[in-house]
Amino acid sequence: MLNWMRLLAVARKEVTQLRRDARSLYLAFLLPALLVVLFGYAISWDVDNIRTAVLDQDQSARSRELLDAFRSSGYFTLTTRLERSADVDRLLDRGAVSIVLVIPPDFAEALDAGGTAQLQAIVDGSDANTATIALGYAGAIVQAYSARVRFQGSLAQLPIESRTRVWYNEELTSRNMIVPGLVAVIMMIIAAMLTSLTIAREWERGTMEQLAATPVSRAEVVLGKLLPYVAIGLIDVVVVSVIGVFLFGVPFRGSVFLLMVLSLAFIIGASGLGMFISAVARSQLLATQMAMIATFLPAFLLSGFMYAIDVMPAPLRALTYLIPARYFLVVTRGIFLKGVGADVLRVQGLLMIAFAIVGLAAATRVFRKEIA
Amino acid sequence: MTAAPGGPAVSADGLTKHFGDFVAVDQVSFEVRGGEIFGFLGPNGAGKTTTIKMLAGLARPTSGRGTVAGLDIMTDTRDIKRSIGYMSQLFSLYGDLTVDENVAFFTRLYGVARERRAARRDWVLEMAGLTEHRRRLTAELPLGWKQRLALGCAVLHEPPILFLDEPTSGVDPISRRTFWDLIYSLAEQGTTIFVTTHYMEEAEYCHRLALMNRGKLIALDTPTHLRTGMQEPILEVRVPDAPRAVEALTGAPGVIEAGMFGRALHVAVADVAEAEATLPARLAEHGVAVEGIEQITPSLEDVFVARVRAEGGAPVD
Amino acid sequence: MAWRDRGERVAAMVGKEFRQIFRDPRMARVIFVAPLIQLLVFGYAVSTDIWQTPTVVVDHDESLPSRELVDVLTASGYFRVVRQVERPADLVRALDHGDAVVGVEILPDFSTRLRDGTGATVQLLLDGTNSNTASVARSYAERIIRDYGLRAGPATAPAVDFRERPWFNASLSSRDYNVPAVVGALILLICLLLTSLAVVREAEIGTLEQLKVSPLTAGELIAGKTIPFALIGLVDLVVVTTVALAWFGVPFRGNLLMLLLASLLFLLSGLGLGLLISTVSKTQQEAFMTTFLVFQPAILLSGFMFPVSSMPAVFQWMTLLNPVRHYIEIVRAVFLKGVGLEALWPPSLALLLIGGSLLAFAAARFRQAARG
Repeated sequence: MLNWMRLLAVARKEVTQLRRDARSLYLAFLLPALLVVLFGYAISWDVDNIRTAVLDQDQSARSRELLDAFRSSGYFTLTTRLERSADVDRLLDRGAVSIVLVIPPDFAEALDAGGTAQLQAIVDGSDANTATIALGYAGAIVQAYSARVRFQGSLAQLPIESRTRVWYNEELTSRNMIVPGLVAVIMMIIAAMLTSLTIAREWERGTMEQLAATPVSRAEVVLGKLLPYVAIGLIDVVVVSVIGVFLFGVPFRGSVFLLMVLSLAFIIGASGLGMFISAVARSQLLATQMAMIATFLPAFLLSGFMYAIDVMPAPLRALTYLIPARYFLVVTRGIFLKGVGADVLRVQGLLMIAFAIVGLAAATRVFRKEIA
Repeated sequence: MTAAPGGPAVSADGLTKHFGDFVAVDQVSFEVRGGEIFGFLGPNGAGKTTTIKMLAGLARPTSGRGTVAGLDIMTDTRDIKRSIGYMSQLFSLYGDLTVDENVAFFTRLYGVARERRAARRDWVLEMAGLTEHRRRLTAELPLGWKQRLALGCAVLHEPPILFLDEPTSGVDPISRRTFWDLIYSLAEQGTTIFVTTHYMEEAEYCHRLALMNRGKLIALDTPTHLRTGMQEPILEVRVPDAPRAVEALTGAPGVIEAGMFGRALHVAVADVAEAEATLPARLAEHGVAVEGIEQITPSLEDVFVARVRAEGGAPVD
Repeated sequence: MAWRDRGERVAAMVGKEFRQIFRDPRMARVIFVAPLIQLLVFGYAVSTDIWQTPTVVVDHDESLPSRELVDVLTASGYFRVVRQVERPADLVRALDHGDAVVGVEILPDFSTRLRDGTGATVQLLLDGTNSNTASVARSYAERIIRDYGLRAGPATAPAVDFRERPWFNASLSSRDYNVPAVVGALILLICLLLTSLAVVREAEIGTLEQLKVSPLTAGELIAGKTIPFALIGLVDLVVVTTVALAWFGVPFRGNLLMLLLASLLFLLSGLGLGLLISTVSKTQQEAFMTTFLVFQPAILLSGFMFPVSSMPAVFQWMTLLNPVRHYIEIVRAVFLKGVGLEALWPPSLALLLIGGSLLAFAAARFRQAARG
């Protein structure tokens, strides 16, 4: 039924047009690499080197001991020593430091007398996330110090000890969280910015009628147009994974084969969706804008790529169930970080395949209506 | 601001424009007198539009000099813009504004005095025949109407010189005729009109005509002089099968050039009497019967073809 | 006289621009409805808080204190027990399948050791795939367990009493931090898109040429094209800020004038960039793509979603050139800290310098492009 020669002719034409368009090439290859480098190296949620100011009103061996404990933890960088409590306002207002530790004058005295000394941490709460994590670190450091002073270093003497183990992403780096998800986001960029143009462009330039006048069949056009984008998508999966794993040390614990198969299904679905939008919009500008809203933004914001779905309000959470990237993210993170296989990812895998079928069907269907 | 009395309305002296290696306009020189309709004739890509753009301040000449209304096109572009009206081959008014809104916008843009605005608007609407359609969106108007509105917007500020770049391309013949009536009435009121076209019959309406090909000016005269000044006589030969006849005559002795012209043949010959005698026989040899043969006044197309040949090149098309 | 003519021409342009904007019913939607929807989605989706984190519990002790500990965890609101399981292996399964993010294992001798002060142990297991959720959950869990131990264990006062005082955002809600930043992102997007599209559209339909042969100078054209979008940007600022305050209940502690001043300075950058995009784009489609290419990295490197302080030093320096970084810093400070120019003059000055040079550069390029 399919004539491969015609199909490949359509694909080749598409590739030629892509090759001549610097912006598209940039979007297809450079932007994904740029995003991996950005997320892998430059931006993260990891809280370390917290800029810290100290108002040490005690100036004792004890207070210095406590500050050493903060410094040696690696999370806090003592940048400023304050003389007067009035300076605290100014410093936090300007955002020069995130946390100010205030050690009262009787700190050592209270400790040595066996009483309770006070330590105050004033934190810039405007960045709630950094503040919460910083306070968590500070609390743990103070607790350890406190135990050392009281029980001469035996932590076991604490009423309750939490032994925390983190799985899958032991260092809790956001890079390990983001890079596997990037595959989904990048595919949606390609669907929104490249695939969404293919049919709209033909309409705008009037070449669609020309194409319709040739013996090429609907399926051949759809598949021929899809092929290059699916190929670009697969190349991007490999590029992102290789850079992530080998350059930035993102763990890869699952099966390469499973990742490629499910990525292929997702890419086909995403490209099909892009083409569907393209055929409906008929204008390149409108198509990109629609695709942006329908594919890229949800994948970026509502898939759990960066922000947890659990804390969204119910209506938004309900909406996320309609977003394919949400399920694909479970797949990539499962394979990269958890090393789980088809048994665990059965449901998501089936959904990916369903997505591919729906995408293809939508593209072919809408295309038929347009031609007739 | 106005041209020196007696000086040319527009002049070009060795005007040249390169785009990379491509020479779009090559050493073009001419003068346009005040109040005349000056036509630029040539095929697409001959350099007409580039020349007009250089004069209107839309493109910088690579070399050469020019004046518009006595102002230097290299240095006084800002003042030139007040003295000219410009209308391009591409319809370029705002489709999503109404007729009135477009007119109002351009009146303000050209600094038409507040107290004159209403009068100018009414005059333009009247001229373009759009008074009853003034509240319609411009995009909804037929092309011919749009072109009249565009012309109206170009003359709102009563410019002494009007540049029209293929103003009637794509417009139907009747609208084209109406459009030229407007141009004539503007010229009668003293406006100098510089117009480019590739319609031969439109070129006939011009007072003087410059022929351009491949960036070069190949002739400049009144249409009548261009025609009568042609050296080779032209015979019109009526035949049933013109393509075959052209083939038969090309390269035949005494024939300089043979080409189709409508359903007949125009043949440039070295000597009329001799050709009238030999051509029917030559055609009969090739199985083409001659229905009629007579000497005619050359059309502008004949002139154009002859001039291009004289320059030793084929026209770009 | 010359200045009156200039004013007249710019006013004509601005008037025409507004007529065109409001003639198209879609534009009104783009300008007023889209930012509101984006504000709602971003406001809800961009959250680094944790709430009702799915938790699995293995309680080997089954004692009063162990149940009490679980109650304290859930009462905080941060954790929600989705399942009580018998065997640690079930805990592993729940984490593998993504049914839970936190696992709590209470050891058999918990209550005895808590009572006799020999130190009880709680095992915390965290799914680190979402590094942020895991970090914050860990910090809360450890703190809650510590506090419970101090309350329920033998009455020994800690050596150091750690007092936390979050300033500016006492509830440590990330929404208060993020919603003001959304305002900045939205205004940038509006400016970039509208300005670049408006200029490119004129070029596309040929009217730009008609303007160029008129007495309108390049500077007047730029003014006529940017003033409407600056006004729209300001209106959007008011609309989005009002909704942020009324709907999300974000505090506004600062000075409206300061916000307005900063926004005006920021608009210089937005309009300059928009104009610059228009000079490198031939079609509206290209302008849209380029906007995306500029917007994406500008937001990622702004501190909006990822704190600047967590970036490597080189990137921190680079962000100094990013106007979005400075604007977001100001907006957050005005909303949450209530500070004024005395603390915010450095980012304001940066905005002025960046915006001024961007606009000047864009205008120069635009002039150059205007001459053939």
